[in-house]
Amino acid sequence: MWLVRFLMSSIGKKLVMATTGLLLVLFLFTHAAGNATIFMSSDVFQSYADELHSHPLIVIIFSLSILLIVFAHIGVGLFLFYENRQVAKSRYAVSTRVVKNSFASETMPYTGLVILAFLFVHIFGFTFSSEDVNISVTVKELLSNFFYALFYIVAFLALAIHLSHGFWSMLQTFGISHPRYDILLARLTIAVPVFFFVIFGGVAFYFMTGLGSSF
Amino acid sequence: MELNSRVPSGPLAEKWKNHQFSNKLVNPANRRKYSAIVVGTGLAGASAAATLAEQGYQVKSFCISDSPRRAHSIAAQGGINAAKNYQNDGDSVHRLFYDTIKGGDFRSREANVYRLAEVSNQIIDQCVAQGVPFAREYGGTLANRSFGGAQVSRTFYARGQTGQQLLLGAYSALSRQIHEGKVEMYTRREMMDVVIADGKARGITTRNIMTGEIESFSADVVILATGGYGNVYFLSTNAMASNVTSAWRAHKRGAGFANPSFVQIHPTCIPVHGDYQSKLTLMSESLRNDGRVWVPKKNGDTRNPADIPEEERDYYLENKYPSFGNLVPRDVASRNAKEQCDQGKGVGNTGLAVYLDFAEAIKRDGKDTIMKKYGNLFQMYEKITDSNPMEEPMMIYPAVHYTMGGLWVDYDLMSTIPGLFAIGECNFSDHGANRLGASALMQGLADGYFVIATSIAHYLGTNKLDTISHHDEAFLSSRREVEDRIAKLLKNSAGGPAGKFTVDEIHKELGHLMWDNCGMARNKADLEKALEELPKIKQKFWDYVYIPGEGKELNQSLERAGRLADFLEFADIMIRDALAREESCGCHLREESQTEENEAKRDDKNYSHVSVWEHLGEDNEPALHKEELAFEFVTPSQRSYK
Amino acid sequence: MSSINLTLKIWRQPNSDALGNLETYSLDGIHTDMSFLEMLDVLNEKLTKESKNPVVFDHDCREGICGMCGAVIDGVAHGPEKEITLCQLHMRNFSDGDTIVIEPFRSRAFPVKKDLLVDRSAFDRIIQAGGYVSVNTGGTPDGNTIPISQVKAEYAMDAAACIGCGACVASCPNGAAMLFTSAKVSQLALLPQGHAERKQRATAMVTTMDEEGFGNCTNAKECEAVCPKGISIRNIARLNREYLSAVLLKDD
Repeated sequence: MWLVRFLMSSIGKKLVMATTGLLLVLFLFTHAAGNATIFMSSDVFQSYADELHSHPLIVIIFSLSILLIVFAHIGVGLFLFYENRQVAKSRYAVSTRVVKNSFASETMPYTGLVILAFLFVHIFGFTFSSEDVNISVTVKELLSNFFYALFYIVAFLALAIHLSHGFWSMLQTFGISHPRYDILLARLTIAVPVFFFVIFGGVAFYFMTGLGSSF
Repeated sequence: MELNSRVPSGPLAEKWKNHQFSNKLVNPANRRKYSAIVVGTGLAGASAAATLAEQGYQVKSFCISDSPRRAHSIAAQGGINAAKNYQNDGDSVHRLFYDTIKGGDFRSREANVYRLAEVSNQIIDQCVAQGVPFAREYGGTLANRSFGGAQVSRTFYARGQTGQQLLLGAYSALSRQIHEGKVEMYTRREMMDVVIADGKARGITTRNIMTGEIESFSADVVILATGGYGNVYFLSTNAMASNVTSAWRAHKRGAGFANPSFVQIHPTCIPVHGDYQSKLTLMSESLRNDGRVWVPKKNGDTRNPADIPEEERDYYLENKYPSFGNLVPRDVASRNAKEQCDQGKGVGNTGLAVYLDFAEAIKRDGKDTIMKKYGNLFQMYEKITDSNPMEEPMMIYPAVHYTMGGLWVDYDLMSTIPGLFAIGECNFSDHGANRLGASALMQGLADGYFVIATSIAHYLGTNKLDTISHHDEAFLSSRREVEDRIAKLLKNSAGGPAGKFTVDEIHKELGHLMWDNCGMARNKADLEKALEELPKIKQKFWDYVYIPGEGKELNQSLERAGRLADFLEFADIMIRDALAREESCGCHLREESQTEENEAKRDDKNYSHVSVWEHLGEDNEPALHKEELAFEFVTPSQRSYK
Repeated sequence: MSSINLTLKIWRQPNSDALGNLETYSLDGIHTDMSFLEMLDVLNEKLTKESKNPVVFDHDCREGICGMCGAVIDGVAHGPEKEITLCQLHMRNFSDGDTIVIEPFRSRAFPVKKDLLVDRSAFDRIIQAGGYVSVNTGGTPDGNTIPISQVKAEYAMDAAACIGCGACVASCPNGAAMLFTSAKVSQLALLPQGHAERKQRATAMVTTMDEEGFGNCTNAKECEAVCPKGISIRNIARLNREYLSAVLLKDD
C-alpha cells in the first residue's frame, strides 16, 4: 500500500515527526493560553478549568488524540534515533561538527526524553490529581515546592532547546523554504521556543519565588 | 595502409544529407541483435552509448573512473559553439564552418568540419531538452558569449562549468539506458587491447582496476571515445588518468594515427611552481579581455611588479600585434610568452611566467566591475597561489591543454581497422592544427549524438559478421599478451626499490624531454636529439622501474606504469611527426619555417595533408602515409593578427 | 614559500573485508604551496622508495570539478577550507608540527574498498532511478521554444553544480544522501523540461536512496557546510515538497 510505503520511507518518517510536532506545538499554544489565565487570578483560572471539564466528551477525544500524537512522535522519533545510531556508530576517529550551534540538533532525542519524563510527572500531578481539590489549589501547592518548580523550569528549557531546532526542522521537512521568508522563519524559530518558555516557565517561576503567594 | 576518407560527393551543404540517405540502415527490430562496445564516458562516449541504446542496439559501456560522470570533459569551462545566430549578428552554418577550418589553419577535412557546423544547432536543442541549465537572458531566451577566433557571439554556456553540465546531460541519458537494461555499464575498467578477428574489431581486453582481473568483451563494433594524450608531457591541464593507452593499443593493432604532433598549448595557465607539481590549472581565456600581458624590459629583473615603472615594462603582445593586442589566438599568445621567457625576461621564481595585469582595467572600470566579471577566477587563482590578482598582477604561463591529433578516421569516423570507430578528442578529425575555444564540446557531442549511429548502421548493414565468443582464440591471445606485458612491467620490482626509479620519476623525465624538444616551438636539431634520447628513457623504464604491490589487486602504481609504457612508445611517433612536418601550421611551429616577423609560415604546396602513421612492429620504424587535403570550397590563406 | 613538517595518521585498509587501522607517518619538508593531494603524492613516492604500499586514494581532475577525490581531514570532509574539494586544499592551511588525521568518506552506503578509496556507485543508481528527462536523441524542439526565467535557470544551475563527491553523505551524522538527491531533483523540478516526470522522479529517486542504505535526514545542515559547491539545503526542502506532493497527488 502506497501509504505504508510512504510512511516507511526516510522522508515519510520525517513527515510523521513534522506533522505530529506541528500538532503538538498547536496544542501547546492552546495550553499556554489556558495557563496564562493563572496570571489573572485563581478564579479566572478555575473557571477556565471548570468550563473545560464540563465537556467530558471533548476532553476525552482531545486527550486520546494528543496521546496518540505523542506516541507517534516519540515512537517514530526513537526509531529514527535507533536507525541513525546504527549508521553513526564509530564512524570516524576524529569527528568534527562544522555547523556552529549544532547543540540543539545533536540533542533532539535527549531533550525529547526529558520532555517525556516531564510529561509523566505533569500528568501524574495534575491530570490524575484528586477530583475533590480545585485545580487552582493543586497548581499552587505543587509548584510552590522549589524543586518541583525547578524541575518544571528545566523541562521547559529542554522544550525550548528541542523547539529551537524542531520548529525550523519541521518547516524544512514540510518544504517550507523560500528566500523571501528565510528571516521570518529564522525569527519564528527563536520566538516560538522563547514564548513557551516564558509562559510555562513563568508559571513555575511565579509560584516558586512566592510571587503567586496570594493566588 | 589505405586511406579512403569516403567523403560523399556533391555540394558541401548537401554532403551530410546525401550521405545519411545513401548509408545503409538496420531495421529497428534487428538492432537488438547487434552489440556495440563504447570505451569512455566523456561527452562523446556517453552520448554515443546513450544514443545507440535508444535506437535499440545492445551497448556495453566502459569507463576508467568509479562513475561515468567523472570523465574529463567535465572540466571544460568556457562553452559550446553553435551556429544558431540567436544574436542576429550574421552567424550561419557556413560561417562556423569557415571559422573552424581557418582556426585549424587549413589542416582539416572540409566535409567533416561542415557537418560539425551543421549538427551544432541540434546539439543545443538536445541539451536544452535534457534540462541542461544554460545561461539565459532576462526574457528567458538562451544567452551567448563571444570567444576567441570568431567575430560573432555564438558560444552557449552554463557559468564556467559548461563541460560539467553537458557531461551530466549525457550521463543522465546514459543512466536512463542503464536503468532500462539497454546499456551494461562497466566502471573502473581500463582498456588494454582491441581484439581483431577476421580483420575486424570485435572486442576489447580490459583490466578490472579493482581486482586486477584481465577480462574480455566481445561485440559487433568497437567505439573508442578515450580522449587525448596531453599527459605525455606529464604536466598538462588534463586529468591524472587521461592517457593514450586505448588509442595506442588500437594503433598497434593496425589503426593509423593522424597528426600526433598537433598539441594545443593554452596560454593562460597557472605557472609551474615546483617539482612535486602534479598538474597545471587552466585560467579561462576570457581573462585576456581585460588583462594586459607584460614582462620587464630588463633581463632578470627581480623587482616587485609594482616597483617596475611603466616605461620599463614591455607589453609585448600589444606592441607586436596592435590590432588584436592581448586577444591574439591561443597559439600566438603561447609562443610569444615562451619567446620572452627564453630571452630571460620571464618572472617569478622559475623565470617561466609572464604577468597578466588588471591594474589598468581596475582603474578604468572599478574594482566592483572587475570582481563581478572575474571574481571566481581570481579566487581560484588566489587559492592556488596565495596571491590576490586585485593587488598584484597574475602570473601565467602556457600549458598543454588539448590534442588535435588522434586516430585517423574516415567521414564515418571509422579508423583503418574495420569496425573500430573513434569519436571525440580521440580522433583527429575536425580541428586541424589548432582548435578554437568552445569547439571541443561541440565536436564530442556531434560525434556521439548525431554522427556515430549513422556510421554504425551503415557498417552493420554492409558487413556480414560471424558470431563470436570471448572464448575464441583472438580473445585468448590478446589476454595472454596483456598479462605478459603486466608481468614484464612487474618483473624488476621483486628485488625491491634500491637503485630503481618510481613511475612518476620516469614520467617526469619523459615530460621534460617532450616539453623542451617537442613543445611550443620545434626545430630539427632538438627533435632529432629527442628521438635519440627517447629510447634511453624507455630502456631505463623497462630496466629500472619499481612498482610496489601485485598485478591482481587494486594497484595504482601499476596502472600509471602501464600508461607510461604506452606514452613512451607513443612519444616516438609524436616526435617523428613533428620532424616530418617541416612547415609551421597552427599549434605546430617549426622554427625553420617562420615569416620575417617570426610568425608561423605554412607550406601548402608540400604539407597540405594529414600525416598518418602506421605501426610496423616493435623493431621497425613506423611508416608515414598522407591523406591529401583538397580545398574545394574555401581558399587557404595566411593567418594574420597584426 | 616555506616548508613544514607533518605527522600524518592515515586510514589503511588492504581490502573491503579486512579490518583497517590508522597508521602514523612523518613527512618532512612539505612546501606550503603544495596541494593536499600533492602532499599525498610525496608521501606515496616516499613509501614506494621504502618498499611499502602507497596509500590508495581516488583523484582525477585535480581542479575541483570531477568529484573523484575526497577524504575526511581531522573530522571534516574535504578539510578545513570552505567550498573546495580536497585537491584544491593547499598545505598553507596547515602549520609546522601539525598532526593530520586522514580518513575515508564513510557511510553504510559507501563501503571502503582500500585505504581512502570508497565505492560510491550508490550515487549512480540514485541517478539511474530517475535523475533525467526521458528524451531520446533527435527530434527535440528549438532551444528557444520554452523561455525559462533567468532566476529559475540560475537556481537550477546552483543545484546542478553538484559534483557527486559524496562529502554530504560523509559529513552527515546519519549518512544521509538528501543533499545529493535533492540537488538533481531540484534542478529538474525548477526547469519546465523536467515537469512531465517530476512525480515519478521524486518517488523513484527517494526509494532508491533508501534502498541503498543511506540514513535519515535530521536537518543537521552539516552537508551544506562541507559541500564543495555550496549547494543549499533549500534543495532538501524542495525535495521534501516534491516527494510529499508526488506521494499524495500521483496520477496513477
